[in-house]
Amino acid sequence: MRLGFFRRNATMLVVLGLIAVLGVIGWTTMGQQPFVRTTLSGLTIGALYFMVASGLTLIFGLMDVLNFAHGTMFMLGAYLGWQFYTNPTFLFGLFPLIFALLAGLVTSPILRSTFMHLNVSEKAQKTIQTAVALAGIALIVLAVRGLDILGLAETAMVATMSMGNPLAEASAQEPLAVFWFRPVLMFLAGLLLAAAAARPGDRTQVVYAGDKRQAWIISGSLAVLTVTATLFRESAPNAVLLWNGNLRFFAALAVGALCGAGLSAAVEVSLIRPLYIRPLYQVIVTLGLAYVLRETIQVLWDPLAYQMTRPPMFSQPGKAENILAWFSGQNLTVDVLGVTFPSYRLFIIVLGVLMVIALSLLMNYSRLGMIIRAGVQDRTMVEALGINVRKVFTIVFMLGAGLAALGGIGAAPFIPVQPNMGDAFQLQAFIVVVIGGMGSYSGAAIGALLLGLARAFGDYLALKFSLSPAIAEASTVIIMAIVLLVRPAGLFGKKE
Amino acid sequence: MAEVKSDLTAAPNRFTSAAKSLRGEWLGLAVILLLALFPFLFGWFTGTSVQDGPSKFWQGQLITFFIMAVYAMSYDLLIGYTGILSFGHAAFFGGGAYTMGLFLTHIGPKIIGSYKITIGAADITEVLVLVAATLLVVVVVTLLGLLFSVVSARIKGVYFAMISLAMADAIHILSKATDFGKWTGADEGLHGIPVPMWINPTQHRLLFYFIALAFCVIMYLIARRMVDSPTGRVFVALRENESRVRMIGYNPVTYRTLSFVVAAVIAGLAGALFSLWNMGATPTMTSAVTTINALIMTILGGIGTLIGPILGAGLMQIVGQFFYQWFGARWPLVFGLIFIALVLFLPYGVVGTYRLKRLEWKQGWQRLWGLVAGK
Repeated sequence: MRLGFFRRNATMLVVLGLIAVLGVIGWTTMGQQPFVRTTLSGLTIGALYFMVASGLTLIFGLMDVLNFAHGTMFMLGAYLGWQFYTNPTFLFGLFPLIFALLAGLVTSPILRSTFMHLNVSEKAQKTIQTAVALAGIALIVLAVRGLDILGLAETAMVATMSMGNPLAEASAQEPLAVFWFRPVLMFLAGLLLAAAAARPGDRTQVVYAGDKRQAWIISGSLAVLTVTATLFRESAPNAVLLWNGNLRFFAALAVGALCGAGLSAAVEVSLIRPLYIRPLYQVIVTLGLAYVLRETIQVLWDPLAYQMTRPPMFSQPGKAENILAWFSGQNLTVDVLGVTFPSYRLFIIVLGVLMVIALSLLMNYSRLGMIIRAGVQDRTMVEALGINVRKVFTIVFMLGAGLAALGGIGAAPFIPVQPNMGDAFQLQAFIVVVIGGMGSYSGAAIGALLLGLARAFGDYLALKFSLSPAIAEASTVIIMAIVLLVRPAGLFGKKE
Repeated sequence: MAEVKSDLTAAPNRFTSAAKSLRGEWLGLAVILLLALFPFLFGWFTGTSVQDGPSKFWQGQLITFFIMAVYAMSYDLLIGYTGILSFGHAAFFGGGAYTMGLFLTHIGPKIIGSYKITIGAADITEVLVLVAATLLVVVVVTLLGLLFSVVSARIKGVYFAMISLAMADAIHILSKATDFGKWTGADEGLHGIPVPMWINPTQHRLLFYFIALAFCVIMYLIARRMVDSPTGRVFVALRENESRVRMIGYNPVTYRTLSFVVAAVIAGLAGALFSLWNMGATPTMTSAVTTINALIMTILGGIGTLIGPILGAGLMQIVGQFFYQWFGARWPLVFGLIFIALVLFLPYGVVGTYRLKRLEWKQGWQRLWGLVAGK
């Protein structure tokens, strides 16, 4: 039994042992302080790499989709979370519209049961579908026409400038008397799109009773949400801005992650799903999507770099003597083994570790995790067992993008928030995934750890030999090459 | 059995194929003739000089188009014919550009300064330097191609896409690293490469135009010959079914390497010519954006058609020009949306769709509906 444990985790143990040996060598040659500092920054980078790479590896392992838009999700999470943190007016203005559209969209199964029995000749079906769908899209355009989103860059700028009181600069919103027609139009547009999706006149469709009931419930709750969001649209931003900064920050983490997850669900359903028969084009479509999202961000927020302020929890002046002292002092920096280290970076490390634990719990002890693991092994078999793999695909895509978006908002306080902030992380995440093996989250964790440490120590060495950090960045490719020469499927990958 | 064999290996007789291609490609010949006469026709129609003014501007546009067309074509050899999804193509293009630029900036002047090689009265030192630079480009990109193909022999499919991206990015990082700033100009890139006076694109635009045109045509012919040859058939077979290729007795590694090296050399030469044309080499040329451009041009025109990427390059050039005027600095947003629509609705590109003689509109909508209806 104990021998089995060693055999199963041989790779992990070997890698950890290797890191330990290198650590001892580093400790003795570098001296304590530089070593601890470098290790801590390596762990910080590694934690961020893990947040991007874990989603990427799950998505690839389960769905064979190479998601080039993953770094964009990281960036998007940062933007949305930061916007929520500084000035949530924009987001609260959008929520009613999105909820209304969704409430309309999910009624498709309800409509189907009646619409499929309509008398429509087969020839006219396609035409009617297209016409209804186009009408729906036209309604969406009508609903968002004149919505003030282009002023976002200004408010963002102001929010960055006046850190003290963003409330005073929060731009005025449309009064409810003018606004109410937008969610209504959105709901109607959703209904039209759902009607088109219900394929009126096509009697070959099957309607499940369960689907119908579910649709009623989801649509109803979304409608309630829409009304609530519309009513709280004006007061909620102010309320949020009056919150304690720490609370607002944690809410921003959640909002960033949820927005990223929601958006990626829409992406999976609308762009990835129709292309499962042509995998190459899936890759290409995600590339195009990354392109579009980055440009959209630049339209909305201007191509500038913003700096998110650290939450008050990590910004009290002074240095905490140890980690326990930080809990009472909430200082900017913490003394760790004689090294003065920013407390926020420690938070990133903790966040990364929490994520590893949460993910491993999810993967090992939940039904979803079981399905995912089984799907990575053999997707066809899982399908044959009667599990709706498509639904799991969407969930995994959401989960992965949510993790990346969470990483983005987590990283926002110490790297500039700018349109290309995700690119470098995505690239390194690719390397992490290749090192760790596709589809293995523990592989992603080990790979991220390796790469993060390699980056930090590479930077240290580069600085010592007066080279630029670019050399250290390029050298990660060499690590990948070595690992691939030893194990072509990655450290924890399934053998082909 | 005999039929199968002849189907796989029979190359069309060289002479008949040449004659046939001449007969079949009259349209192509006409286009080449038109392009060759373009500067004069343009000058004649507008009544301006061939050497400067708007004619010079449009010549410049077409020169860029020719070079990008060759670059896109080389990408098509990889992705369209051999079926290798590589995201490291910018490494070849930028590698060629940097090799040419570095040689002409740092080694060329020294050679010209210390040696003088003449044939009769003519001083051919500069020509020889250029030839040497071109040969060096070929050597360097061949090595790069070999490096990539060694990796691709071990790692397949989407894994390779990721790794090639990372490898190309390593080269990109090195190209803008400050350590080599003394030679490469770091972030700024190389500027003002001392291009020999007689092909200087600013002074002898017309000559450069013809060089670029000839380069494009020759590279197309080489690529066409390549894919129509038995070797090219093996490339296609590799794309379709690798294990079957191995079973028939061809070594996939050899052919993949060959495909990589040919694509790399063509892309590298395009890059070298581009650096001559720009009189500079910048880190953008090695960046992922350049790879994505190749991909977009190829998809736009049609994968696996050779002529498609050329058209795609032209479309991209025109679109870039006009979209910038219409939509301002954010034109890539519109372009990206069109690109996504294209992937959904016109997956075979312009040429591929034309060859299929039917539009994919219907399938596109079906795909779109299948998903909303949750089929």
